Amino acid sequence: MRALDGVKIADFSWVGAGPRSTKDLADNGALVIKIESARRLDLGRRSPPFAGSPKDHDGSAFFAQSNTSKKSVTLNLSDPRGVDLARKLVEWADVVVENFGPGYMERIGLGFDELRRIKPDIILASVSVAGRSGPMAGFRGYGNSAAAHSGHAALSGWPDRPPHMPPLAYGDVVAPMFATVAILAALEYRSRTKQGQHLDISQIEPMVHVIADLFADPHATKTGNADPVIAPHGVYPCKGRDEWIAIAAETDAQWRSLCETLHLPFDPQFATVQDRVAQSDILDRTIAEVTVLRDRAALLSALAQSDVPAATVQNGRDVFEDPELRAAGHFVPVLHPVLGKSMMPAPPMTFSQTPPVVSAAPCLGADNENVLSGILGMSAAQLEELESLGVIA
Amino acid sequence: MSQLQGIRVLELADGLVDLGGRMLAELGTTVISLSRGAPRTSAREIAWGHGKHRASWPDDISALAPLLQDADILLEDRRRGAVIPDAMLQGHDRLIHVVASPYSAGGPRSGHAATDLTLMAQSGLMHITGDPDRPPLRFPGEQAYALTGIQVATGALMALHARHQTGRGQRVDVSALQAATLANYREAIMFEWTGRIGNRTGNRLVRGKSGVRQVWPCADGYVTWSMIDNPNMMRAVVKVLEQHDAAGELSQVDWAGILVADMPQDVIDRWETIIEGFFARHTKAQLGEWSLTLGWGLSVIHDLGEVRNSAHLAARGLFVPITTDTGTIPLPAPLFGHGAGGPVPARSFAPERPLDEFAGWGGLE
Repeated sequence: MRALDGVKIADFSWVGAGPRSTKDLADNGALVIKIESARRLDLGRRSPPFAGSPKDHDGSAFFAQSNTSKKSVTLNLSDPRGVDLARKLVEWADVVVENFGPGYMERIGLGFDELRRIKPDIILASVSVAGRSGPMAGFRGYGNSAAAHSGHAALSGWPDRPPHMPPLAYGDVVAPMFATVAILAALEYRSRTKQGQHLDISQIEPMVHVIADLFADPHATKTGNADPVIAPHGVYPCKGRDEWIAIAAETDAQWRSLCETLHLPFDPQFATVQDRVAQSDILDRTIAEVTVLRDRAALLSALAQSDVPAATVQNGRDVFEDPELRAAGHFVPVLHPVLGKSMMPAPPMTFSQTPPVVSAAPCLGADNENVLSGILGMSAAQLEELESLGVIA
Repeated sequence: MSQLQGIRVLELADGLVDLGGRMLAELGTTVISLSRGAPRTSAREIAWGHGKHRASWPDDISALAPLLQDADILLEDRRRGAVIPDAMLQGHDRLIHVVASPYSAGGPRSGHAATDLTLMAQSGLMHITGDPDRPPLRFPGEQAYALTGIQVATGALMALHARHQTGRGQRVDVSALQAATLANYREAIMFEWTGRIGNRTGNRLVRGKSGVRQVWPCADGYVTWSMIDNPNMMRAVVKVLEQHDAAGELSQVDWAGILVADMPQDVIDRWETIIEGFFARHTKAQLGEWSLTLGWGLSVIHDLGEVRNSAHLAARGLFVPITTDTGTIPLPAPLFGHGAGGPVPARSFAPERPLDEFAGWGGLE
């Protein structure tokens, strides 16, 4: 048994901000039917890296990792008959998920009011950059837009340099996690009240929430890697090109252990954490002068034995090969029809009674027959006709 | 928001579970929180603690037994080791026990010390964040802790759903390293499939053969925008440049016929010089207005004050005055828009009270 066995999701979402949420649900047992179309291809299927040709819409590893354990049907939502089939899937579902641009679901006749007419206790989760209400409700943007509007970009980077945007859409990570929580809470609410609801998840707001501590500080500013109450707290060079180790000594005992491990004399000017925070620039230079002579793996091992919090700064290869992540089952092997045996990220948690199971992402339309016949009860002749008419496409 | 009214959560916090407990409180659960006493700013205490009932840490952990008796969910933060002995949990068959640890229980790093910074370093996120001439950088705030906290709430709610089917609780183990690494959705998979290793590129986004700028100075601050392969968006931008006689050679580009990602870097640089000059002559408000109305995909980079005072976020009710012992402070509260009614959680940062005052959950609901 898995935690969400029996939960049924009609998933209209695409690219990153919606699919990462429905992946969470699918890996834990929800039956997620991804409703997509070759005529309006999920841009995730066009995103690198690819196994083979970029033109193969089943060859994107990016798509595969965000859509594990789901089913795929292809419906042409620009055709009213395609929308009719989508409405039947809504009737079947507990939850509908979408992250289209503003107004799209309403234009095709699948706005929340209409969904409620189809199924009164339906839960609709809408994920968008700025939410479905307010002056910016119509804003079209990307995951990085949320970083700009939430304060993340302004507080990223070095204090003496302009705002910084890391090369990933962090808003496309945090918002779907909030969407997952929202959907689970709404399912709980529905089990008590028999009422559905429209969940309106803005990418900006979760991004604000995860830096709420900075909003609680009237003097918050860019600090680079420094921390207001921990020092040393930084990233220090090691022997070799672009080799770094992160060290954070939370306590006086850890500071003393760090000094011993680095063969630094115990300096009274750094005796208390207040001393160390006040002089963190000097402290960081002092530490960097000795770490740069050390091999990072050997230094990490020595610091671990001394109980000093530390980690090497890992790159993509390090992460992929990390023994800790491998031991935890973070990447699990699945067999995909196009990608072959490939490693997919698993949920970052284990359940003692309802363990998740990760299976391969679906090829485009791979489940048309099973879903449309098995769930909607269509005959083979009906399927054939709608395929020939471009409705199932 | 009261979707989870009546659910009782006991939280033993040390950084990893704090946001998870806050989310559950915001959803209507009753949360009694005990903090393990890690070094924290008062801002962090308030940000993650409001809406919870706060109890003092007991000298003897067995003093928690009466609260455990009636708890639905126990959030146990094991950033610095286990708190609750297994024996204390015997007989609590319906309890959902969410354990958050830096690493997996049986892995090679099990039991190693960790903080937000070291978890971010190991996740791979820092390697690609920052400038090529400087050390790797973390994200603002404590994002490894935040990501773990969200997964803690997720695990608790999934187990709650399962409990309806089975009548039994279970243990959920959340790995903070995995939670942080999951956010790094591109680097490991890029290595797996291409052998390429990403590096820090400053504010340049490199996709394909060339890199494009992401951050631009304007007349009164900064905006973020990039040349991407979206012909409609590019035409919308160039149209406004043309209206200001500032488009130059951009007017001649067939945006549907080229791939920005495949253009030589010197051409991208030349085009970006035109854009840079135009942005520099206009304000954040003007550029933001064009983006909203014309679909540019440009965003104004707001500082924290501008976020707090955003008319949009005010209309959505994101910031709420939170009462503390020294006054009120506006903090983000609702997690998302929803249709569930009922009372909102307490909008206060409660003072810490002796544990025995919460015996039998003391009519907290």
